Amino acid sequence: MALLINRRRALTLLGAAGAGAALASWGGPRVAKAAAPHVVVIGGGFGGATAAKYIKRRNPDIAVTLIEPAERFYTCPFSNLYLGELREFESIGHGYDELRDTYGVTVLHTWADGVDPDAKSVRTRNGEDIAYDKLVLSPGVDMQWGAIEGYDEGAADKAPHAWKAGPQTRLLKSQLEAMEDGGLFILAAPANPYRCPPGPYERVAMVAHYLKTHKPRSKILLLDAKDSFSKQALFIDGWESQYGDMIEWVSLSNDGKVVRVDADTLEVETEFGTRHKADVLNVVPPQKAGFIAERAGVTDESGWVPVKPATFESALVDDIYVVGDATVAAPMPKSGFCANTQAKVVAAAIVATLEGREPPAPSWSNTCYSLIAPGYGISVAGIYHVVDGKIAEVEGSGGVSPREAPDAFRTREARYGAAWYAAISNDTWGTAGK
Amino acid sequence: MTMHGRSLIRSVRRRDVLAAAAGLAACAMLQPVGALAAGPWQRLDAARDLIGDTVPDTTGIRLDLPLVSEDGSAVSVAVTVDSPMTDDDFVQSIHLFADRNPSPEILAVELTPRAGRAELSTRVRLNESQSVIAIARTSRGRVLATARDIRVTISGCLVRADTYDSPADLDTRVRVTAPARAGEPAEVLTLINHPMETGLRLDEAGDPIPERIIDRFEARLNGEPVLRARYYRSLAANPFLRFHVAPETPGTLALTWTEDTGRIAEAEARIRPG
Ligand SMILES: Cc1cc2nc3c(=O)[nH]c(=O)nc-3n(C[C@H](O)[C@H](O)[C@H](O)COP(=O)(O)OP(=O)(O)OC[C@H]3O[C@@H](n4cnc5c(N)ncnc54)[C@H](O)[C@@H]3O)c2cc1C
Repeated sequence: MALLINRRRALTLLGAAGAGAALASWGGPRVAKAAAPHVVVIGGGFGGATAAKYIKRRNPDIAVTLIEPAERFYTCPFSNLYLGELREFESIGHGYDELRDTYGVTVLHTWADGVDPDAKSVRTRNGEDIAYDKLVLSPGVDMQWGAIEGYDEGAADKAPHAWKAGPQTRLLKSQLEAMEDGGLFILAAPANPYRCPPGPYERVAMVAHYLKTHKPRSKILLLDAKDSFSKQALFIDGWESQYGDMIEWVSLSNDGKVVRVDADTLEVETEFGTRHKADVLNVVPPQKAGFIAERAGVTDESGWVPVKPATFESALVDDIYVVGDATVAAPMPKSGFCANTQAKVVAAAIVATLEGREPPAPSWSNTCYSLIAPGYGISVAGIYHVVDGKIAEVEGSGGVSPREAPDAFRTREARYGAAWYAAISNDTWGTAGK
Repeated sequence: MTMHGRSLIRSVRRRDVLAAAAGLAACAMLQPVGALAAGPWQRLDAARDLIGDTVPDTTGIRLDLPLVSEDGSAVSVAVTVDSPMTDDDFVQSIHLFADRNPSPEILAVELTPRAGRAELSTRVRLNESQSVIAIARTSRGRVLATARDIRVTISGCLVRADTYDSPADLDTRVRVTAPARAGEPAEVLTLINHPMETGLRLDEAGDPIPERIIDRFEARLNGEPVLRARYYRSLAANPFLRFHVAPETPGTLALTWTEDTGRIAEAEARIRPG
């Protein structure tokens, strides 16, 4: 494969020799363009859309094809706010116009069904084979059906996970609307690692906000397979101050781990045999990398994808880069923010490699905002780098919101959260995110 | 003291058991520690003392734990030893170590043939990335050893469970899955709410909080010993132990936890082979 020189860089280099010569010589690279390297990106969520865009931003001569079944992508971030009636559903939907029209990415709305790493080609559900020089996977997560006895795809139609935004989120919302005042909402939260560590705790807060407004006699039971969770003290303070005793959290050691679900009766059974019956049951099961990762041969026994930290290239298969929730990137959390910054590192690494340069040294940042009530936000932040070939949190970089803080501080963080969502939507899909 | 799980759970989760076994087998195939007897146990005094002059077998013993833990405060660890568990050939003891913890001992369990199956799981504290080591001794004098590496990442995003005390103290939980037939092993889950104070933690004034742990656990079936365990401070708070018992007749499983202060908690469960 021919090495590719960034067109802008080529022009600058040639600029010294004279702009005319540069323009005159442009016929040459045009021919080379026919053999321009091709990057295929699977998944148009936070990681994939960002990777496609930033490869094109860095070098428009690289051909990029994005494979994503959905014509409109609904984000998990802020889907809890939809449950709390603080956002319209359409406000969390994003299309691919910018990628297609502004950046010249070829967007195929279909599934990738297989990857042949030897032939370096992707098979789509339409039966097309698409060759790649570099492949980026950002397929997000799949549920581990059956990891909780009785919780399979069919059960999710009755007891939604709503851990991928879309029909599942709307189903959960309609069930909450149909629930009588005085009902019990149960959320079953998984052990680490899973998509969005603070997600379940923000979700119960947003459901509590909905219930407080419309069905104030209702209760929430959060059954947890963990003894601790992200921003724990802040969440517990916030739940109490905003919703009194509406939310009860049951930890692993207090028999919180759900081991069996009966989706017909909305009953759950915990590790030590306690049974609970819900009026609305939200099961967030254990997860794994999206199925295409396993088919590409990049997953390990954990079901997740080990990567080379400096570039996020698969540790197992050459020329396949993986970003986002599918990866083992601990201590970075599985967040949209991380998927976005990992994708930028991958874009830089791929473009550098294709141009025959060394990939730059990476660093990543993350902030997770959670909303407890309107005007009541909290956050956790961290910066990450590579130490001794492993990802580590930069010491002293992290931080959570202070526990004692005036109302104005929480209000400001709620505003920052909304601003973050608008900014990352714009950065990823070129959409407003409002 | 409350007593949960007194009721008998009759359904045997056969599919789960098989799936779990398949998982263990897959892990074992992916992570061979090497047919040679060399292993991290050679660098650990406590483990060397157990092994003595023998050359440990590294097959027939499996450890199952995650490759990465994002919160080293309660990592699930399972150990399985292939053994008929008959009166003349059974696993006498299983020992777990974490080679880079301030005190490497995690758990030491003495088993009897009444356990029916040499398989345990628990939850452990891991201070940093290291090897977890399992050593087993059989009634015929065989020694088996295996080890697995785990990476522990510390993330500001996640709090460690042991920074939060459970308000419940010495609350016990038991669950027994009824065996399908007399003599077949039933699964027993046990937990006691306890902080397992390591003695290494400081209070708000900066003074060390004294060590206070559950250090002994015992299970008897109709008065006969099934299993006796030493718990160490590397065991996670709220010590959890899953083991087996193979009753020939209906009976009562009596469980006793002892704190290092001498305080005792007890629980009972009825078992009736199906
Ligand atoms: C309730 C909730 C709240 C959250 N809140 C936040 C938050 O406030 N901030 C934050 O940073 N993160 C948040 N997250 C986490 C965030 O949603 C994920 O971390 C993020 O979506 C990960 O990006 P990704 O690219 O890995 O996967 P995704 O964004 O899920 O994208 C994966 C895409 O790949 C596509 N795909 C999968 N397989 C294939 C295939 N075979 N062929 C073609 N396409 C395929 C899917 O259709 C999907 O569009 C939240 C998550 C949840 C559940």
